[in-house]
Amino acid sequence: MTFRTRLLLLFTVALGASVGLVEWLVTDRTREAFEQLESRRVKALVLQFQKEFERSGREILRAVDGIAGSDAALNIAISPDYAQYYGEAAALAKAHALDVLELVAADGTIVSSAEWPARFGYREDWLANGQWTGHEAFLRSAELPDGLALALVAVATVTAGDRKLFVTGGRKLDQEFLSSLGLPAGMRVLLYGSREAQFLPADLIGGPAGNLRPLIEQVQKQRTEATTVIGRGAEAETFHALPLAGPEHNLPAVLLVGSSRKELVELEASLRRIGLLMAASGIIVGLALGWWATARVTRPVRALAQSAGRVARGDWGTTVDSVSGDEIGQLARAFNRMTRELVDQRERLVQAERVAAWRELARRLAHELKNPLFPLQITVENMQRARERYPEQFDEVFREGAATLLAELANLKQIIARFSDFAKMPAPQVEPVQLNRLAQENLKLFDAQFAKAGIQARAELDPKLPVVQADPEQMARVLRNLILNAIDAMPQGGVLTVLTAVVGTGARLEVSDTGQGLTPEECERLFTPYYTTKMHGTGLGLAIVQSVVSDHKGRISVESQKGRGTTFRIELG
Amino acid sequence: MRPGGSAGQVGQAIRRPGAQANTLANALRHLLALLLALCALAATRPHYGGTLRVEVRESVETADPPPAPAGFSIAQWEAGHRAVYTADENAPGGRPFLDGIEILMGRPLREQSIDLELGRADLVQLGPNELRRPGVRKTWSSRPIRVVALVFAARVQEAAREALALAVDRAAIHNVLLQRQGEISGALVPHWLSGYAFLFPAAADIARARWLVSLLPTAARSLSLAAEDRDLAGRIALNARDAGLSISLTIMAGNADVRLIELRIGSSDPARALAEVAAALGQPRPQGTHEGAPPHLGQPSPQGVPEGAPPRADSPDALFAAERALLEGYRVAPLFHLPDVYGVGPRVRGGPGITPLGQWQFDNLWLESGRP
Repeated sequence: MTFRTRLLLLFTVALGASVGLVEWLVTDRTREAFEQLESRRVKALVLQFQKEFERSGREILRAVDGIAGSDAALNIAISPDYAQYYGEAAALAKAHALDVLELVAADGTIVSSAEWPARFGYREDWLANGQWTGHEAFLRSAELPDGLALALVAVATVTAGDRKLFVTGGRKLDQEFLSSLGLPAGMRVLLYGSREAQFLPADLIGGPAGNLRPLIEQVQKQRTEATTVIGRGAEAETFHALPLAGPEHNLPAVLLVGSSRKELVELEASLRRIGLLMAASGIIVGLALGWWATARVTRPVRALAQSAGRVARGDWGTTVDSVSGDEIGQLARAFNRMTRELVDQRERLVQAERVAAWRELARRLAHELKNPLFPLQITVENMQRARERYPEQFDEVFREGAATLLAELANLKQIIARFSDFAKMPAPQVEPVQLNRLAQENLKLFDAQFAKAGIQARAELDPKLPVVQADPEQMARVLRNLILNAIDAMPQGGVLTVLTAVVGTGARLEVSDTGQGLTPEECERLFTPYYTTKMHGTGLGLAIVQSVVSDHKGRISVESQKGRGTTFRIELG
Repeated sequence: MRPGGSAGQVGQAIRRPGAQANTLANALRHLLALLLALCALAATRPHYGGTLRVEVRESVETADPPPAPAGFSIAQWEAGHRAVYTADENAPGGRPFLDGIEILMGRPLREQSIDLELGRADLVQLGPNELRRPGVRKTWSSRPIRVVALVFAARVQEAAREALALAVDRAAIHNVLLQRQGEISGALVPHWLSGYAFLFPAAADIARARWLVSLLPTAARSLSLAAEDRDLAGRIALNARDAGLSISLTIMAGNADVRLIELRIGSSDPARALAEVAAALGQPRPQGTHEGAPPHLGQPSPQGVPEGAPPRADSPDALFAAERALLEGYRVAPLFHLPDVYGVGPRVRGGPGITPLGQWQFDNLWLESGRP
């Protein structure tokens, strides 16, 4: 993965994460605000219900007191025969707009029932056993022909001498009552009349039971408010359930205030859509911006990388454009500065090397030429002296002197031929070469010298060595140079080893001796032309070896330890 | 006061000359008394003329009018609404005092009593609730001749039938809904007619009823009840609920499991009455009873028992056995025997205008405002 791709990916992820975080924060805050609002609405509705409840209670109490204070009730109370009044409650209930009304004798026997006329003669013991002075309206399950109904009722007592008549009346808490609450949109109120210990869906006023059973049973059991969410998605509702206590510390009803979560769900969906749209837009814009930005950032980096590659390939004069003033621009300028300094240093180094090489060449030439020149000078001076002082011996001296002069001149020619050879190193003519055979043939050439110098020659040749592409003449010259070096390094005798081995797809050739070895400084300068550690020689041998190996795209290295010998290692592809 | 006696005393006082002032005064007093007596005689003496306005709850929808009361003949007939009868000048017992009778049909009991209060009717039927209305000052009542009973469909299990019969609290219904009219009974034939009706139990036994219901499968514990009297049906349903039965009220009598019916006793002969009731219930004629025509339900039966029917050969024991056999299995559960009760307007004189069997008898009635 490229730096630009990574940068782009990072940019996109950061952008997406930012949008997601903002979306989450907005949604969370919205939900929190909605739930606070809903809580306030529920409280307001509960308060409204309680007020309506109290207002209805006062109305009912007033109506029941009115009935109890009427002549009709008094007549019934003092009548010796209640039978004729069994239909009285219905008329009184109608006149006072009550849904339920019962006239009950002092012993609890129903004299007349408006809601269920047939119940005359049945008993309402709870009335006879209770104290009803100063009592307010309360919730109670009223018995109707088609079942129990939750009603808000009040009780009044008619007393005439020793006779007493209870008047209990009220209104049903039905759908009509709940509708009168004036609910805000999205809210509804349900009332559960607890007729039985177990949940009965039919006792729920105001709507279908749905999944309200656990909530109602929880409130019935704990007698405390509870809240839960019923349903899923846009159909979900938050229900707050409140216990409504009766006069006998019972729980005749549970008030359920439902608040639809549709608005919240729709709001959340809308926010989600907007968030997704923003995220998508942001990602697209971000990608475009990221593409542009990363291109802007990575272009100089890529140029730097390409320039560095060119430098690595030897193009030391490479430079990059540095128009920006940022860190990348500073880096580019530093790179340009570095390459310039490298070029300068290289030129200086080459120049210094060249100067050093000329100096070494001059020293070597002087040294090489001085040796034959001195005998020449001595021979000429001897011949002059003999002619002046010993004319009789001049001929003999001349003869000997001429022979010496010719020998030294031949020596000078040989020295010049060597320098000429180094200068005229030809390009290699490559062909398949078996290094093992080449090593054996060249070792054999030096058998006489090995014997004379007391050197034991060894050949450790890998039979699996592949055939390499090389110039056999030049490689033979390399091998001979290395063997001569090794012989020179062991004047007291030793072991010379020629080793071949497989390296990857190529071959390795090593020539080792057990001579005095070299110092690290000597190793560094070993391949410099005209450098030698020996008293004789031109210092061109190893320079020629390195030149040949280099022309064959190979690599040569030296490994040496002082006093333990030296190993030259050549690797060819 | 005898009118003839007073006139003789006044004549003696006039024939004695030289009578003292006291005697004259006494004579004047006697004269005044005579005048008052004559006035009273004139006031109570039957008058001819006037139309008796009668209202009834029943509505006869037939093309032919109901048979005319004795001494009258039909003059106008509006089926289901109104019938007018005029006095028959050639009636066997002499012309009735009334010129005619106008009968309005299909009038609710409450409206009838209001019409009576307002003087718009002279004779109206009274239900239990109307008896205590302030406008009702005078009533005529028959003997308890209407049988109120529960009749079960054949598909209803016997245990359910017995349970419902035992669950009904007849006493409470009699005291309150019927305002103590008529009598509680477990028999079909009224006690005043048979003399043995008390032998049929009529008391509620809710414990046994519950036990019987407990033997029933759940499906058999729900029954439908068809009844015209919704109050009575409602109370029966309430009693049934106490026993564990579920009663639903319906107006479809044909499909109902139980029907609350009212049968009219049309004969003063208990055997014939039992036979008529059995026939009306669709039961086989009890052994030892006469065969007779079924009575009209809810409608006064002017015919009564055919006088030419064969003489009875049954004893009270046989009749009791026959009725007991009829009631065995609780196909029918008698509840009450009710009288026909009429409210009579203040201008109606003579009477009573109904017989013990509830038949109209208007030929000896007259109206206070009729022709002198």
